[in-house]
Amino acid sequence: MRAAPRRVAVTGIGMVTPLGNDVTSTWNALLGGESGVREIAGFDASGFPTRIAAEVRGLRAEEVVEDRKSLKYATPFSLFALAAAEEAVRDAGVRPTQKTAERWGLVSGSGMMTQEFDFLQRFQREFAADGEIDVARLGAEGERFISSPEFARHRTVAGQALLHKRYGIRGYSANLHTACASGGQALGLAMRVIRSGQADYVLAGGYDTMINPVGLAGFCLLGAISTDNDRPASASRPFDLTRNGFVLGEGAGFMVLEDWQRARDREAKIYAELAGEGNSLSSYRITDSPPSGDGPIQAICGALADAGESAGAIDYVNAHGTSTPMNDLSETNAIKAVFGDRAGDLAVSSTKSQMGHLIAAAGAVEGVICALAIEHSTAPMTTNLRTPDPECDLDYVTEGCRTIQIDVALSNSFGFGGSNSCLIFRSPQRAESRGQ
Amino acid sequence: MQDRVVITGYGCLTASGADAAMTWEAILARESGIRQAETWDSSGWPYHLAGEIKDYNPRELVADRKLLKFITRQDVIGLNAVTQAVAHSKIIEHRDGFADPSSFNDRTGVFVGSPATKYRSQHDYLSSLSKAAGDPREFGIRAMEDVHPMWLLRALPNNVLAYAGIQYGFKGANANVTAHGISGSQAIAEACRYLRDGAIDRAIVVGYDSASELEALPYYASVGLLSSRGLKPFDRSRDGTVLGEGAGALFLETRDEAERRSATIYGEVLGSSVVSEAEGVLSVREDGAGVSQAIRSALEDSEKSSDEIGMISAHANGTRVSDASEARAFIDVFGASSIPVTGFKWSLGHTIAASGVIESILTLRCLADGRVPGIPTLEELSPDCEGIRASAVEQKPKSSVGIVVSRAFAGLNSCIVLSTNG
Repeated sequence: MRAAPRRVAVTGIGMVTPLGNDVTSTWNALLGGESGVREIAGFDASGFPTRIAAEVRGLRAEEVVEDRKSLKYATPFSLFALAAAEEAVRDAGVRPTQKTAERWGLVSGSGMMTQEFDFLQRFQREFAADGEIDVARLGAEGERFISSPEFARHRTVAGQALLHKRYGIRGYSANLHTACASGGQALGLAMRVIRSGQADYVLAGGYDTMINPVGLAGFCLLGAISTDNDRPASASRPFDLTRNGFVLGEGAGFMVLEDWQRARDREAKIYAELAGEGNSLSSYRITDSPPSGDGPIQAICGALADAGESAGAIDYVNAHGTSTPMNDLSETNAIKAVFGDRAGDLAVSSTKSQMGHLIAAAGAVEGVICALAIEHSTAPMTTNLRTPDPECDLDYVTEGCRTIQIDVALSNSFGFGGSNSCLIFRSPQRAESRGQ
Repeated sequence: MQDRVVITGYGCLTASGADAAMTWEAILARESGIRQAETWDSSGWPYHLAGEIKDYNPRELVADRKLLKFITRQDVIGLNAVTQAVAHSKIIEHRDGFADPSSFNDRTGVFVGSPATKYRSQHDYLSSLSKAAGDPREFGIRAMEDVHPMWLLRALPNNVLAYAGIQYGFKGANANVTAHGISGSQAIAEACRYLRDGAIDRAIVVGYDSASELEALPYYASVGLLSSRGLKPFDRSRDGTVLGEGAGALFLETRDEAERRSATIYGEVLGSSVVSEAEGVLSVREDGAGVSQAIRSALEDSEKSSDEIGMISAHANGTRVSDASEARAFIDVFGASSIPVTGFKWSLGHTIAASGVIESILTLRCLADGRVPGIPTLEELSPDCEGIRASAVEQKPKSSVGIVVSRAFAGLNSCIVLSTNG
């Protein structure tokens, strides 16, 4: 006989977002309908068609990382990860010990831009003064040009290494990147790792920034981001008829996930059960899902089946809702396809309307928001939706945050490249009553 | 009872051969694909060795020519291996028998070990930076004029995942592992997880890398990891690794699915592990504890005991600390001189994110043919590796079960357990 599958509890949460550098300030800003989008302050973006973004503000590296040595190995987005992970671990009230270190895992979705712009500029001055690389000179001088911490920082596993070391996590590890689905896929994989017994605790999340001259250039060239420089606060308007691209955000979201029984035994505060994952590939185009919702549909259905819930049980959907013309249509149609007649009654909102698109961190941050929505019986709103799109006609919670009991929440993340991640979070009450 | 996972197709492209058969023959013939780097003029470079793909011609490697505008060299290499493995599995011929293949496609996954972003992807901005001469506003204006509109899409770390899906219409569970030297092994491990969980019935798994890029050589040399003389695993005089290019792909299915379509089964993935030593980005534990833990954990996952293992495909990257610590772990787990140990990087170079998949394919060949190739560059076993059965001459596997060990920055260690005992 097969033993009852292990269930997964969310026992700690942490966030660094454009709305606040911790969970409380971010949540309060969401409730207040604030926008984190402003003119870019981190560098002079005046030469770009888009000059706005949702930046993290006022996060002081020295306050996040106590030891100076680690700081040398941290890129800006690793720093977001360290801050959000620390909040999650403290919140959970449990951390790896000598005895449990191998039973702890780490799963993260991390950003693609590990090489810093400063380094590229220095490289250009040193080896490509006229724009062409002097190969002979690079061969002769390259070894002395880069420092050891710099080399380490450029590795895709740099943030993963810092987190492992800081907490002494000696068990399972994964670092994923499927663009905007990375954070969601990381939480989903972490859930499976605990279910299978490979770990009892997993620190899981996502972290990213692409708000730098090269990242901004890449999105501007592609025409994927909003150019509403004169009205930053309303530039991200998911599901609005006049939506014209997303707004870049940055930050990190982390959770401590834990075997349910262990969490109960130590009388931990349980925010929610991470109850299901649906993971699919659209295999359509690199930048879009098809208008029919094919791809996202399979991910939503997969998550429901994995959680053992019917579509009728969902109380709230935290949408991917990027504010690009195609995503919001495709997602709306996917929801209609799965929820049928009930689609119109479902509370669906995009918190990207306030904090922009956190790319590889988005799914993890929005997972944390779902846990908070369940805890506070509150669905966050979609701001800036003023001109309804006849093709996007769901209940997007536009009037303000809504007080509703949320027993089951769905979080959608769909990435460039076609990876889709849908997660189901269940209230502790519902999880317990199902467990009887 | 969890589903068992079998291998029904494979393919690879390496410095030593354009496919799996050629690569295997080259290794048996003691041939190395490592040469002076030729992708750029490396004459005069102190560290100039690389395992580059020979006669690289993207138009021959990828059928869809329009695609070449949207992908880079590493993606081309990865997609070539995918195409080889899918063809080898004959899965498309099988799918063609379905009137409606949509549920087949929805239950076919894509799992990738990716090198993530390369230094060279940012070289497209050098011209704009030069013209801007330090003026940030000018840089923005120039970049909009000079750089290709699709630049970001070419740079995506998940291109091989996306285009493998698009090429075949596969729409199931997927992951893109960006974990340096264990990426390929972990892609196999995560595909097995989703297969065992019942989320999918089959998956294409690929690891790919073009690790020996222009900037990588001096930078890896700067932290003491490269050899200027050649890769000599476990040898007394070893002094570093050599970076290489390559890709390997496996087609995996649940045993039930493979048997139902009477597929040729080349082997089975019995189990896997991924663990971290938690010592930082570049540090490696000298006692090999992380490798021991990875092996023990993979054996447990496979329900195998150490005396059932017939050979070891070691990470064997030729650096002082990695080889010595790995050797200690083998002795710790298996005892001294007990099991044939080999490695393949002396011939292929270190293909980082691809290595776990390529080396799994070669391990399958070892087990199938009953031959554990020698390591020709191993002239004298190093005193700090004493006790392992690594040899310059060919050995025989002790059973039909082998392990593949892979290691990465961040103190990551992975072990895959493979069997040909169908």
